[in-house]
Amino acid sequence: MISKFLYGIKEGFKSFGENIAITVNSLLLSIVYFIGVGTTSLFARILKKRFLDTKISKQSKTYWQNLNLKKKKFEEYYRQF
Amino acid sequence: MYIIGISCYYHDASAALLKDGIIVAAAQEERFTRKKHDTGFPINSIRYCLSSQNITIKDIEYIGFYEKPFIKFERVLFQHLEMFPLSLKTFLSSIPSWINEKLRVVRVIRKKLGYRKDILFIEHHMAHAASSFLISPFEKAAILTTDGVGEWTTTTYGIGKKNKIHLMKEIKFPNSLGLLYSTITAYLGFSVNNSEYKVMGLSAHGTMDRKSNPYYEKLKKVIDIKEDGSYRLNMDYFVYHYKDRMPSQKLCELLNGQIRKSESDVEQRHKDIAAALQLILEDVMTKMLNYIYKITKQENIVLSGGVALNSVYNGKILKNTKFKKVWIHPDPGDGGTSIGVASYIYHTILGKKRNFVLSNPYLGPKFSEEEIKKILDKNKIKYSDFKDEKELIKKTAKLIYDNNVIGWFQEGMEWGPRALGARSILSNPCNPKMQEILNLKVKHREKFRPFAPVVCEEDALKYFDCDNPVPEATDFMLMVYPIKKKYHKKIPAVTHVDGSGRLQTIRKFQNQLYYNLIKEFGKLSGIPILINTSFNIRGEPIICSPYDAYKCMMGTGIDYLVMNKFLIKREDNLRDAWDSEKYAHD
Repeated sequence: MISKFLYGIKEGFKSFGENIAITVNSLLLSIVYFIGVGTTSLFARILKKRFLDTKISKQSKTYWQNLNLKKKKFEEYYRQF
Repeated sequence: MYIIGISCYYHDASAALLKDGIIVAAAQEERFTRKKHDTGFPINSIRYCLSSQNITIKDIEYIGFYEKPFIKFERVLFQHLEMFPLSLKTFLSSIPSWINEKLRVVRVIRKKLGYRKDILFIEHHMAHAASSFLISPFEKAAILTTDGVGEWTTTTYGIGKKNKIHLMKEIKFPNSLGLLYSTITAYLGFSVNNSEYKVMGLSAHGTMDRKSNPYYEKLKKVIDIKEDGSYRLNMDYFVYHYKDRMPSQKLCELLNGQIRKSESDVEQRHKDIAAALQLILEDVMTKMLNYIYKITKQENIVLSGGVALNSVYNGKILKNTKFKKVWIHPDPGDGGTSIGVASYIYHTILGKKRNFVLSNPYLGPKFSEEEIKKILDKNKIKYSDFKDEKELIKKTAKLIYDNNVIGWFQEGMEWGPRALGARSILSNPCNPKMQEILNLKVKHREKFRPFAPVVCEEDALKYFDCDNPVPEATDFMLMVYPIKKKYHKKIPAVTHVDGSGRLQTIRKFQNQLYYNLIKEFGKLSGIPILINTSFNIRGEPIICSPYDAYKCMMGTGIDYLVMNKFLIKREDNLRDAWDSEKYAHD
């Protein structure tokens, strides 16, 4: 009985902690989104920079883009980018 | 030398183990965790791979990861920059997982596995290309990879020669044939990254004619296709680049209606939309493949990426193009990239000669007679055992012939999304009611979906209008072919509405017991073909362990379970019976 009660309290605190974490994360990420992403995005729009290639061109004959991906130097494979 | 390949954090997490260039073990994480398409770190798959060879993580020389996470993260950020402020919701939901795990792959691998040696990263579509070419039977081949999205790339083509791969051109996100298919899948009320094959099955019920299908011309408005097969999507019809859903309101207007609710009826309109989508996919693929043939001048083609699971189109490749031979990895989707990255490290990066062709898909956990007996006894399961292999085959074939539904558990678990005779449900294809019986007793799935036939490779040309010789990819249930007209009525349970069948061919060296069972059934029925469907409950992954098999039988209407040399009758164990349908989901 007591252990059940203590377990309930533990779960309650856990859930409370998780909700606090979600709220704080969302708040911080919203700040990052509006200040970081938003400002960069607005500047990019002023400079007419596009981040995704979505333009449809009836004139162009192909949408294939050069890739030329082959075996690289060994060290390159340690990189995550 | 041992190398582990890992794929995770998007969908279908998996791990594969390479020993001196040979794939000795591979499994998808979902089979262990019982979470369909599990994306998590494949710790159970890795543990299985190591234990299968009696080695520890210290014996591993390299671990390979199937993509470059930072390049993928760049793409995610660019999506938000492009779509600000519309993408706030997806930003809040997706960024925490990037910060917590996706950008910490090295740390996660070292911490979870205690691994201290080299970790290598290769591009996602190179992992796809390697998974199809380096273990194919071809010395030289053209390569086409088409999926939803990797880092930026959604489609590539190139050429493979010996142990080298050159990917020449690409198409980038958000333009994606895979995501187009997924968007229409979502529009038709099915789950994305899961039910695309249902849309493919549904397409045969629609109007598969370009002139008379009312949605073909409409749907062509969403994609601009060039003569060389390259394409670009009109993003007005999509919202997947900034929302957690895929079709836009404009797409709904184009297709004359809102997104279908998953529990509502499938109408003729939905069937025609599925057919129009399939026709467009086939248009793009044919144009692309013909162009690739022209550029690469190769007679062989290998395919990879999720789009290569479109078995309806795969069966048309050799008819529609000039390629002479085709090969497709048993798991061409993201799951297969763990094999791709491990093979690429060994053969291409380390420059070792190719010495392995993947012809046997039974790379997963295998259970000995003793292990199974122990599980049966421990759980007080009533069973009998067959005297020998001959009796097992004779009795099982007779049970199938008498219209019983059989759970078939033999060999190592299959690699890839298809059950190929190791974790299968088998039944009689000659019974016109068998489709209904299977749906009622076991699968509870949509009526429009066909069941698949399995036939011995040398008999395939007698019953099916296959390519000749039958491509090896047919062994992995990746090709749909027309069933010869005179057999439509003889095997009604596996004949789809358009007269086709997604057949599996089996060769004796791959799985002798399974092969002999089909032959024995042929002696009784006159038709050496069985229904082979995956051994699982709807919404769950294919079973892995003996206990999974027993539990699945007792939750469904499977009549018998043939597990190694043991025969378990459902009726003898009714105390463990339960109703799986209560828990079934899409």
